[in-house]
Amino acid sequence: MASSEFPQLKCELGVLSKSDGSAALAEGESVMLASVCGPIEVKLQKLLTDKTSVECCYRSKAAEGIQDRFRETILKNICETALMASLHPRSSILVNLQEMQNGGQLLSCAVNAACLACLNAGVDMKFTFAAVSCFLNKFEEFSFVPPINENEVKALFVLVFNSTTGSIIASHTEGSFTTEQFQHGLKLCREQSQFVFKFFKESVINFDKDIE
Amino acid sequence: MTNSITVVDYFLPGEEITDIKSKERQTIIGPGLQRDKNKPNSLVVTQAGRLHFRAPNTYWIENRKTRYVPKRGDLVVGIITKKSGDVLKVDIGSAELANLSTLAFEGATKKMKPEVEIGDIVYAKLLNAYKDMEPELVCVDQYYKAGPLGVLTNDGFLINVNLKLVYFLLNVSNPLLGTLTKKFPYEIVIGLNGKVWMKANKAKDILTMCRVFEASENHSEKSISDTCRGQK
Repeated sequence: MASSEFPQLKCELGVLSKSDGSAALAEGESVMLASVCGPIEVKLQKLLTDKTSVECCYRSKAAEGIQDRFRETILKNICETALMASLHPRSSILVNLQEMQNGGQLLSCAVNAACLACLNAGVDMKFTFAAVSCFLNKFEEFSFVPPINENEVKALFVLVFNSTTGSIIASHTEGSFTTEQFQHGLKLCREQSQFVFKFFKESVINFDKDIE
Repeated sequence: MTNSITVVDYFLPGEEITDIKSKERQTIIGPGLQRDKNKPNSLVVTQAGRLHFRAPNTYWIENRKTRYVPKRGDLVVGIITKKSGDVLKVDIGSAELANLSTLAFEGATKKMKPEVEIGDIVYAKLLNAYKDMEPELVCVDQYYKAGPLGVLTNDGFLINVNLKLVYFLLNVSNPLLGTLTKKFPYEIVIGLNGKVWMKANKAKDILTMCRVFEASENHSEKSISDTCRGQK
């Protein structure tokens, strides 16, 4: 599968003035706004004596629902693994995400936006992370672009990769599929994640250059 | 010394630096870098930014951070936010409020306490800044003299700037502050935590300085230096 079939990525860094780091990311038709603050003061009930407590807040466009809490948990887990939490004990890092537009791959867009915002904030990280969504339609075809009709989606894979080792740090699947199909989707996503990492580096360097 | 700084390349977190040029394998690392325990003589990047190297053996990452992480010996500007007994709590922009003892002022004793109110701005030095403890400030040097440290007067103006601009302003060879001096007289205190206190005769001059700093955050050091030279 060629990279041209992957939804186009566009991003803008440092869009918010009050937060430490922010990023607006468009992945195809999905648009997310992420902001990262930290390390900042922590509430006593969330205080951890040996590491930073990562807090994540996801806001959808529509009314709040159980899906938002679920996405928050995934994002929180990813950020906890990627951030160097032991460097700043008894503090917290806030990751806020605002859905701007839903085009089918909200979760991967949110994860990628969170990563860009963390890079922009200059928070210490062990590695960068990139998410790729892959759709399996009812004709058993794989695609990175969501089908126009939502009923055609048979399964959805969202896989998050570590930049240093290339291993999976989070996986989320919806729908029904066989093990072989999952393995194939995983292979496609892993190849694709390299382009996402490249995009991250280009965007961060461009942001730095824009100011120069 | 400043001439020997070389900018190596742009790095993202997780990337490894293996070609370390430091002599005798003793590398001093600054912000944004960690040592790799398994691989001696290689470093791991933890922040996105440009890698800088200063001969013979110092490496660090520079980027546009706004959040301050306390380091021992830093001179910072803070705002008094709480007063309890002998201890003042100071907001220095870090994750926690810093402690400042009322005895840590020049000439202060248990009976002769310094005149400090909530909301006052102090210029202080970080005595210690361990990650597991609250940072501790002092307003005296090792000879118990205040020097430039202490409470700043209330007729000044405080702004926040990003940390890269702070390092730029504190660089002795930087022409920006010198150029401003030619235009109008002013006093300035630059804290390493990104808080900058200013005082000038006219409010207009303060506004000029605010605008200058705001504009310089979005320009490269070279273009600022060139503009300043054009002013002469």
